[in-house]
Amino acid sequence: MKLTRRAMIKDGLLVVSAGMVMPAIFSRGVASARAQALDGSRMAQMASDRTLIVVQMAGGNDGLNTVVPFTDPLYLKMRPTLGIPETKVLPLDTRLGLHPNLQPLQKLWHDGHLAIVEGVGYPNSSLSHFQAMDIWQTLDLSGNGSEGWLGKLVSGLVDRDGHPFKALDIGVQTAQALQSITTQVPTVANVQSYRLYPDPVDADGGNTRLQALMKLYNSYPGTAPYAALLDTTALSAQDGSRQLHQADATYRPAVTYPKGPFADGLKVLAEAIVQGLGLRVGYVTLGGFDTHANQAATHDVLMQTLANGVSAFYNDLAAHGKADNVVVMTWSEFGRRVEENGSLGTDHGTAAPMFILGNPVNKGIYGEPPSLSSLDENGNLKYTVDFRSVYATVLDRWMGASSKAVLGGLFGTQNFLS
Amino acid sequence: MSMDDTYNQPTEPQMDIGGVRNDLPAQAVPTVPLQATQAAVAPEMAPQQPALASRRKFMGKSLAGMVALGGAGVAAAFGGVALARWIEHGGFTSSSQGPMANSTQIGHLLRRAGFGATADELAMYRQLGFNGAVDRLLNYQQVADDAMENRLKALNLNLNSPADQQRWWLLRMAWTQHPLLEKMTLFWHGVLTSSFHKVGGSRAYMRMIIQNQFLREHAFDTFDTILLGITSDPAMLFYLDLTKSTKRAPNENYARELMELFTLGLGHYTQQDVYEGAAALTGWHVRGLNSRYFPQDHNDLVKTYLGHTGNLDYKDVITILANHPAAPWFICRKLFTFFAYENPSTDDLKPLVDTYVESGHNMGAVMRTLLLSPQFSSAQAYRGRIKSPVEFTAGVYRALGINEDSVSKRLPTFSTLMGQTLFDPPNVAGWPGDKVSALWLNSGTWMTRLNYIDFLLASRAGASNGSTPLVDLQSVVNTHQLSSPEQFVDHFSSFLLDGNLVSGRRTQLLDYFTAQDGSGRGKPVALTNGQSYPLGRVRGTLYLMMASPEYQLN
Repeated sequence: MKLTRRAMIKDGLLVVSAGMVMPAIFSRGVASARAQALDGSRMAQMASDRTLIVVQMAGGNDGLNTVVPFTDPLYLKMRPTLGIPETKVLPLDTRLGLHPNLQPLQKLWHDGHLAIVEGVGYPNSSLSHFQAMDIWQTLDLSGNGSEGWLGKLVSGLVDRDGHPFKALDIGVQTAQALQSITTQVPTVANVQSYRLYPDPVDADGGNTRLQALMKLYNSYPGTAPYAALLDTTALSAQDGSRQLHQADATYRPAVTYPKGPFADGLKVLAEAIVQGLGLRVGYVTLGGFDTHANQAATHDVLMQTLANGVSAFYNDLAAHGKADNVVVMTWSEFGRRVEENGSLGTDHGTAAPMFILGNPVNKGIYGEPPSLSSLDENGNLKYTVDFRSVYATVLDRWMGASSKAVLGGLFGTQNFLS
Repeated sequence: MSMDDTYNQPTEPQMDIGGVRNDLPAQAVPTVPLQATQAAVAPEMAPQQPALASRRKFMGKSLAGMVALGGAGVAAAFGGVALARWIEHGGFTSSSQGPMANSTQIGHLLRRAGFGATADELAMYRQLGFNGAVDRLLNYQQVADDAMENRLKALNLNLNSPADQQRWWLLRMAWTQHPLLEKMTLFWHGVLTSSFHKVGGSRAYMRMIIQNQFLREHAFDTFDTILLGITSDPAMLFYLDLTKSTKRAPNENYARELMELFTLGLGHYTQQDVYEGAAALTGWHVRGLNSRYFPQDHNDLVKTYLGHTGNLDYKDVITILANHPAAPWFICRKLFTFFAYENPSTDDLKPLVDTYVESGHNMGAVMRTLLLSPQFSSAQAYRGRIKSPVEFTAGVYRALGINEDSVSKRLPTFSTLMGQTLFDPPNVAGWPGDKVSALWLNSGTWMTRLNYIDFLLASRAGASNGSTPLVDLQSVVNTHQLSSPEQFVDHFSSFLLDGNLVSGRRTQLLDYFTAQDGSGRGKPVALTNGQSYPLGRVRGTLYLMMASPEYQLN
């Protein structure tokens, strides 16, 4: 099945023109991999089996109630009902402590596997969820970007073995961070449904029908609407479902994961890593952080879901001898207003901490917790660390990629990775 | 499978901690039948209250200024012109037909302004011609839809259950004789959106149906009326926290999204407008399944909102927004993108914007302008969007004429795994696929689409061991006297694919239909020429038609 098209993004649509050469990533051949290398690959290729897992905390996580500045008197003063008292905070050092439901993360901290980057944000921060999410995912500070930073990274990876799971997104909608000009990232809601069912009356298990189907896609005119998208989707599904089900048949998690879609998703990512599917970038989303009202009960549950899920994932990898190969990074589009609102909640804010965890991580607090006394005109924190420096650190020091190529500039690095 | 925390995003779950939440204490929840048209109790104008500000945020900048709007601007908010009367006055010009063949154009119209069609429906609409078809779709009140309502009633669905709510609406889309009304309601649901996860608890999920009935009832009303209704809609009051907003501590969630996502877009307001708008919007509470305005709970400070100063209230806010020069461009862009194609030009939108202004903000008039525009019937529009999961789920069900309770139970799960759960958008911005339809498609959602077709074709009617196939192809062959593989393919292609299959691809389908393997199970299908074909080949051909790239497009 040979593809001879080049996909390009125009106005957010995949368009193709016939007769051009498809990027190497779709061709699965050594020859075309070489062609891409000659083509001036933007990103360095990875020789290792290192994996990055990105956890999106959607809705704007309350950073101040996640990593709590419990010794700052302004904190409880501005949050008389929502503030977490010192007696409940899980201390990390003399200034900062974790939300009480993050106990599994405190353990990782004590074991030396957790780093926290404080005060992460960007200039002229948007209080709009959607512009902020665009900025974090596409790095276009106008909020009008279309290609995601992880999509750029993934499209630059050349995999000679034809693994369809270089990147894997958990959910039903591919995250914007993984949108790419040339790559269709497999998106898996659950393993069971990630396959094409045959018609039970077909004696050959559906092979003939599947071949006819793939022919309909392969011969779909390249100039027709959405041709590249439809083609690559079908190919990605066909290759990926076979491999994922083979892997699934023999995978035994070493821990009991918590119930719920977030932990279920992490389990699929662990499976892809442990079973050697070639995973380089995994992505999973935990939603519900937009806590404008009655925040405490909701946020408590979310913290617990986050910590229990991530720690089960870590323990599963450790038991399978893979914990040295994996770094987990969390992000959210913004933190929340310092002062609580009149609805027992918090409104849209700015800077917030990010968690980086895994055996390769250098334990510590990086960046500076923003001052609670020097706020911007909206009563929000002033960021101290540019989020792009965190991305750059992960790209340069972990993924072996060129952050300059992926991020389109140099933004410095942090020392949570060596 | 529950996808809750996988893809719910901003404005999200108040975890359901038992029962209905009213924002006023100790209110009994009445059991109200599905009669939701007057959810909002129309309030009197708020009497003047002394200013009682405590939030420092809007104390500072806005106390100066004149009462420019007060109550005077409010009348305009209700000044919408009824669609019929506006048309009477010659409010639109007649259409140009665009480049499509008539048969293709009607198929296109019924997909975009509805959920596709059976062979019989398509024939009926073709007889009306394109303009006649548009008239029938817009003047839906003249078409009875009792059969659908009766079928739905007979199902005895629990409309407080999210799964049954989804099934109820998907079946409406599949069965209705008012397809554009359902499509327009779906459009509004994606714009002025709420999620059952945050409407006051598990015993109040019904509030989503109340909102849905409001959007349906006013789908083609003035933008002002629609905005007033959604602002006082019980589900919305919970979803964007207006129930938590008090005159002393206005909550800014709704005030922000009302401007950013419902009416103007980023760049047309400041954070100060968010504060001031939040104060102006105070006063609403929810009681049971109704909402009510309490003038004494409204913040009576003088506010300056988008350049207007006065003791503004929610009606003033809506008047200001619906008359804001950015509003028609904003909402017409959304409408055009949803119904025609993405990234419309200024020229594409200008006629819609003009209609908005000239018709007194009437969305039915705007819709007519859109459907009759050359752009709507252009090559750029044709197959120019990926079908949404709801379009796909309801569309297949409708086109194949399926009516089977045991099967329709599965519709919500399929739609969710395709990437869209009705009454549960990923966040307050609605579904990203409504804006960029390519986002609907990925490996996982694509396989679910195909598995849904496979499921329907392999299911049997009646109880679990029924003997008749759900989609009885022998019966279709007999009814339509299909006497050759070509006639079979052309029959289904005519209403599934506008008969628009380039010849090489039609040949691929015929090759599959006629290949001799003889080893499959099931009762062969006999064409009327006497020739029999294995069941797997016959329905496999239909599967391939709906699994094809072309059928994924709308």
